[in-house]
Amino acid sequence: MKRIFNGLFYGLKFLLLIAAFSLSLFIFLRMNMRLDKSFVSVLPQFIPFVILLILFIVNMLFKQEGVTKCLFYNLTCSLVLTTIVLVSLRAIMDTNMVLNGKYGYGIDFNFFDNFLAYIDMMVYGLIISNILFMFKEKDNIKDEKIESDKSNKSKRFKKA
Amino acid sequence: MKKLLLEYANTFAYTITGLVFGCAFFLLFINFYHMQELSETVDVSQYNDNNKASIESKVQTIKDNIGVYSQSTYRGNLSIYGLNNVQARLQNCIDIIESEEMMKYLELDEIGINDSYNFVVDYKNNILNDCLVMQVVSMLNTDTVQSLTNYNVISPLVESNVNSLLDSVSYVQNNIENSDHYYFTTDSNKNNFFDLVEDSYSTTMNSYQNTLDLLVQISYWYRSIVLGG
Repeated sequence: MKRIFNGLFYGLKFLLLIAAFSLSLFIFLRMNMRLDKSFVSVLPQFIPFVILLILFIVNMLFKQEGVTKCLFYNLTCSLVLTTIVLVSLRAIMDTNMVLNGKYGYGIDFNFFDNFLAYIDMMVYGLIISNILFMFKEKDNIKDEKIESDKSNKSKRFKKA
Repeated sequence: MKKLLLEYANTFAYTITGLVFGCAFFLLFINFYHMQELSETVDVSQYNDNNKASIESKVQTIKDNIGVYSQSTYRGNLSIYGLNNVQARLQNCIDIIESEEMMKYLELDEIGINDSYNFVVDYKNNILNDCLVMQVVSMLNTDTVQSLTNYNVISPLVESNVNSLLDSVSYVQNNIENSDHYYFTTDSNKNNFFDLVEDSYSTTMNSYQNTLDLLVQISYWYRSIVLGG
């Protein structure tokens, strides 16, 4: 059961990261068009997303089980990215928020703006915990190796 | 030592993940709650029927009062330019009140937050700005109207009322615009303090009724000077 959920959240976090990144990019580009700013000024906002994507890919390529098999981490990633997707969709589609229509941009920048600090905080939190969980894996692997070496030695000793 | 540090790192990783989980969980559910709150609708059919009847009666009173003057039949001593001016300005106000843009709100059976917001914006633009400021206040500043009887009585009354009416609904508009931010309204708050949909609508409607009362008073002044003159 745990394996099924872990697999589900593991796959989901990649899809949600792409969705969250695309929706945020869309809103930021619209915000910049409104203010006549260059695209370069929004790039720092995407650094945490890019770092997180790189870490996910590293986790996947190097089969870092401390991260990939941690159900709690995968669940948290999915929850954070779902929240970002929901907020982005509400900023675009929730017409009950009056400022959505008032300025005629079709996006409630005011609402999305409130959420930016939370996005940064949560995504950087995921990055830090991902890096720390990598160490956990190294530690576990070493421990497992030591334990397997010890058991092999004891078997040989018994045979002898 | 290294193992101890790694254990600390592991604990720290779980702590950070837990905090992020808590924050995301909170934000996700506050968003659902916020979305539900903003989609609230209120039944105002009875309230609107009563207000519509009251507004129509006041408009009819104003029409009757300004109808007592006709330039072709008037034989009094007052300036016909002043009397024409007041009559035309009040007629413009009636046209604005009876316009489809304002009357559509009285036909609504159910209102949402957008209706409350649009009502307050249209009320400010059409009634307060176009009628009160552009017609009534500017009318009182013309020389021909200043020469009419009892101008000194009606002018301060209008000025003080207009000043209070202009400020009466600004906070309602600001409240609704600020509702796009996260906030923590409960049903208890709604019942006891300020329901964003219902109370905004009724506050605007009260201000609307007060504006009409002022116009009725002006029309009575007009009637009295026409008949008295």
